[in-house]
Amino acid sequence: MASSYDIAVDQGLAREAAWRHRRMAVRSLVMAGCGVVLWLAAVRIHLSLTNIITGIPNMADFFGRMVPPDFSNLRSLIAPTIETVQIAAWGTVIAVVASAPLALLAAHNTAPHPSVYFVTRLFLNLLRSINELIYALLLVSAVGLGPFPGVLAIALHATGMLAKFVAEEIEHVNRGPVEALQAAGSGRMQIILFGIMPQVFPAVVGYILYRFDVSIRSATVLGLVGAGGLGFSLITSMKMFKYHETAMCILVIILLIWAADAISSHLQKKIL
Amino acid sequence: MNMNVSTHDRIVSVAPVEKMPIVSLVKVSKTYIRGKLVALTDVSFDVGHGEFVVILGPSGAGKSTMLRCINRLAEPTSGQIFLRGNEITAAPRSLRKARQEIGMVFQQFNLVTRLSVMMNVLCGRLSYRSTWRSLFYSFTREDRAIALECLEMVALGQKAFQRADTLSGGEQQRVAIARALAQRPKLILADEPVASLDPKIARQVLDYLRDVSQRLGISVICNLHQIDFAREYAERIIGLSQGKLIFDGPPSALTDDILNQIYGPRREGTVG
Amino acid sequence: MQPRLSFGGRLRFLLYLAGGAAFLAWSANALELSGGELFRSLPAIGRYIARMIPPDWTALDGLWGPTLDTICIALWGTVIASAIGLPLGILAAKNLTSSRPLRQASLAILNVLRSISELIWAIFFVSAVGLGPFPGALALGVNFGGILGRLYAEAIENVDPKPLEALRATGAGRVQTILFAVLPQVLPQIVSYNLYWFEVGVRSATVLGMIGAGGIGFELVTTIRLYDFRQTSAILLVILGLVTLIDQASALLRSSIVK
Repeated sequence: MASSYDIAVDQGLAREAAWRHRRMAVRSLVMAGCGVVLWLAAVRIHLSLTNIITGIPNMADFFGRMVPPDFSNLRSLIAPTIETVQIAAWGTVIAVVASAPLALLAAHNTAPHPSVYFVTRLFLNLLRSINELIYALLLVSAVGLGPFPGVLAIALHATGMLAKFVAEEIEHVNRGPVEALQAAGSGRMQIILFGIMPQVFPAVVGYILYRFDVSIRSATVLGLVGAGGLGFSLITSMKMFKYHETAMCILVIILLIWAADAISSHLQKKIL
Repeated sequence: MNMNVSTHDRIVSVAPVEKMPIVSLVKVSKTYIRGKLVALTDVSFDVGHGEFVVILGPSGAGKSTMLRCINRLAEPTSGQIFLRGNEITAAPRSLRKARQEIGMVFQQFNLVTRLSVMMNVLCGRLSYRSTWRSLFYSFTREDRAIALECLEMVALGQKAFQRADTLSGGEQQRVAIARALAQRPKLILADEPVASLDPKIARQVLDYLRDVSQRLGISVICNLHQIDFAREYAERIIGLSQGKLIFDGPPSALTDDILNQIYGPRREGTVG
Repeated sequence: MQPRLSFGGRLRFLLYLAGGAAFLAWSANALELSGGELFRSLPAIGRYIARMIPPDWTALDGLWGPTLDTICIALWGTVIASAIGLPLGILAAKNLTSSRPLRQASLAILNVLRSISELIWAIFFVSAVGLGPFPGALALGVNFGGILGRLYAEAIENVDPKPLEALRATGAGRVQTILFAVLPQVLPQIVSYNLYWFEVGVRSATVLGMIGAGGIGFELVTTIRLYDFRQTSAILLVILGLVTLIDQASALLRSSIVK
C-alpha cells in the first residue's frame, strides 16, 4: 500500500521536477527578455524614482497654487461645458453617418471587391491612427480657431474607430439569416438591412455610446489647441496664471466625464 | 490494531480509535431573512472517528446548509459546532485552523480549470504555507510529495500535469478528493459529490471516497439524495427533512415508513 | 434581436430621439455648424492638404529617436498603469473586498485618475520632474491606471466564484485565494487589456510631445509651426505606419492568448 505509492510518488516527483524546470527555464528566459527591454526603455526615457521624489515639492507647489478651486468661476464655465458636449455630440453623429457606408465597404462579406476592402481598411487605419488632438491642431491651422475644427477632429477619428468596429461585427455575423434571405431571392440591400443590420445593432449601439463617452473626454482637451470647449478655458486660465480657475476647470471636467460615463453605461445596460 | 507508518513517514494508515467525536453539532439552527426562511432547526449529532455518515434528504431539506455551517461557509444563526472538542468560531485564526482539518468536496468539483491537476491538489496545502511563499507559487518538496501521493490514491498520478479542464467529470471530482486529502484532514465534507455524474462514474467516485475514509481513518459526512447510494455506502444515515433531523441510524434501520417521512410533502418556506 | 417595446416604451424612445434631435439642432446653431460652413471651409482644407503633398521624406532624419521614445513612453506607461490598476482593482472588486467604503474609495480614486486627461496629467508631471519623456510615461501610467483598474475590477467580479469558495474551505488565506483562484482566471484578460491599451498608449504618446513630454508629437508640432507642411505629412505617415504595425502585432498576440 504505502510502499507501492512510494515508487510512484518518487517517479512522479522526478517527472514533476523535470517538467517544472523546463517551464521555469522558458519563463525565466521570457522574463529576462522583458526585463532587459524594460530596463533599456527606462534608461531611454530617463525613468527615475529619485526624480519623482525630488519632484514632489514641485507637485505640492503646483497643487497648492490650485487649491482651493475658484467656485465663483462656476457660472462662466457652464457655456464651455455645454459647448464641449455639443462638440462631442456632433462629432459622434457625423462619425455615425460616415461610418455606415465605410463599414460596409470594409467588411469581407459586404465589400463589392477585395481591392475596395483593402483601400477602405487602409483609409480607416489612417483615420484611426491619428489622434483627435493632432487633427484639431491641423484643422485649427487650416480653418481657424473655434469649435468647428473640434467637431471635425472628433468626427474623423471616431469614424475610423467606429467603422472598423462595425466592419468587424459585420464580418462575425451569423450566416444563417443571411443565407435564408439569399435563398428567398432578396436583393443585396435587403440582405444588409434585414439580415445583417439587426444582428449587429445591439453591439453597434453600445459601441456608439462608448464612443460618445470617449469623445466627450477628447473634446475636453481639444480646447488646448484652440478648438473650443472646456479645454480652452483651461489653457486660458493657465496662461494667465489663474491656477484657481484652472482647478475649477479640472473639477468641472471630472464631473462632466463622470456624468457622461454614468449615463453611457446606464444606457448601455438598457440596450443589452 | 494495525499501525502502518510508511518509510517516508507520510501516511499513518490506521490510527488508534479516539474516544472523542471528530465533530459535534449542538442545536444548530439557520434562518434567512430574519427568521422568515427556516433552513435548519435544532440539528444535533456527533460523528465519530473514521465514520462514513450519509445525510439523506430531498433537495431543500437543508443538507447543504448544514454541511456549510460546519466549516462556516454559512453562518449558523444559533447553536454550536465542535471540532475535536474545540468550538469552531468565526475568529479568523481558529477558523483557518479548523478549515485546515476539514476537507470539502463540492457538487461541481470547484477546481481552478486553467491550472494543472497537480496545482489544484497543491491548493490543499495552502493553509500550511505562508502568504509570502505563496506569492511565488512555491511549495515545499514535502507538499509536492503529498500531492502526488493523494493523486495516486485516486489513481490519477499519470494525469498530474494536465490542465484540469482536460479531465472528465468523474476524474475532476477525484482530483477534488485528492485536493481535500492533501490537507491531511480529520473530516471530509462531501456536498452532493456525485449529483452531476452518471451512475457508473458516481459509484467509482463514491468507492474512492469510502476507500480513502477506511484506509486513512478520515470521517466523512456525505450529502446524497440517492437512496440506493446511501444504503450502499453509509455506515450510518442521518435523515433530514425540512431542516429537522428525523432519523439517525444504520442503513438497515431505514424502513419505508421513515423514508416517507423524509421524502414526504414539503412545506413552503424551507431552503436546502 | 431587438426586444419588443411596449407602447409606453416606444413613446419614451421617440421622445428621447426627438430630444436628441432638438439638442443637435440647437448645437448646430450654437456652434455655427452647417452644411454651408462645411462647404465653405472645404477649399481651405483642400489647399491645406495640397501643401502637404508630396510628403517630404527628409523629415525622417532624426525621427528614429523620438519614435523610439514614443514606444518607450507607451511601454512604461502601460507598466505603471498595471502597477497602479491591479491593487486598486482588487480593492474595488465586490467579491474580494468586503468593506464597502474601501471599495468606493478605490473606485473613486480610479475615476479621478481616468477622468483627468493624460495631457493635463502631463502638464502636472512636467512641472514636477521637468520636460522630456519621463513625465509623459507618468501621465500615461496614471491615466491608464484608472482605466485599467476599473477593467480589472470588472474582470475580477466576473470570475467563477466556485474555486474561490473551495479554496477558502481548505483554510487558504485571502491573498492565497486571490493568487490561486482569481488570478489564473483573469490572467488572459489582463494580458489582453494590457496589449490593447499599449496600442492606445502609443497613439496617445504621439500627442504628448506637443506639450514637451517627449515623442514624435514634438517634431510634428515643430513642422506645423514652421509651416513645413510637406514634412508634416511625412511625419503623419510615419505615425500611421507605427500605429498600424503595433496594431497588427497586438492583435496577433491577443489572439494567441485565447487558449
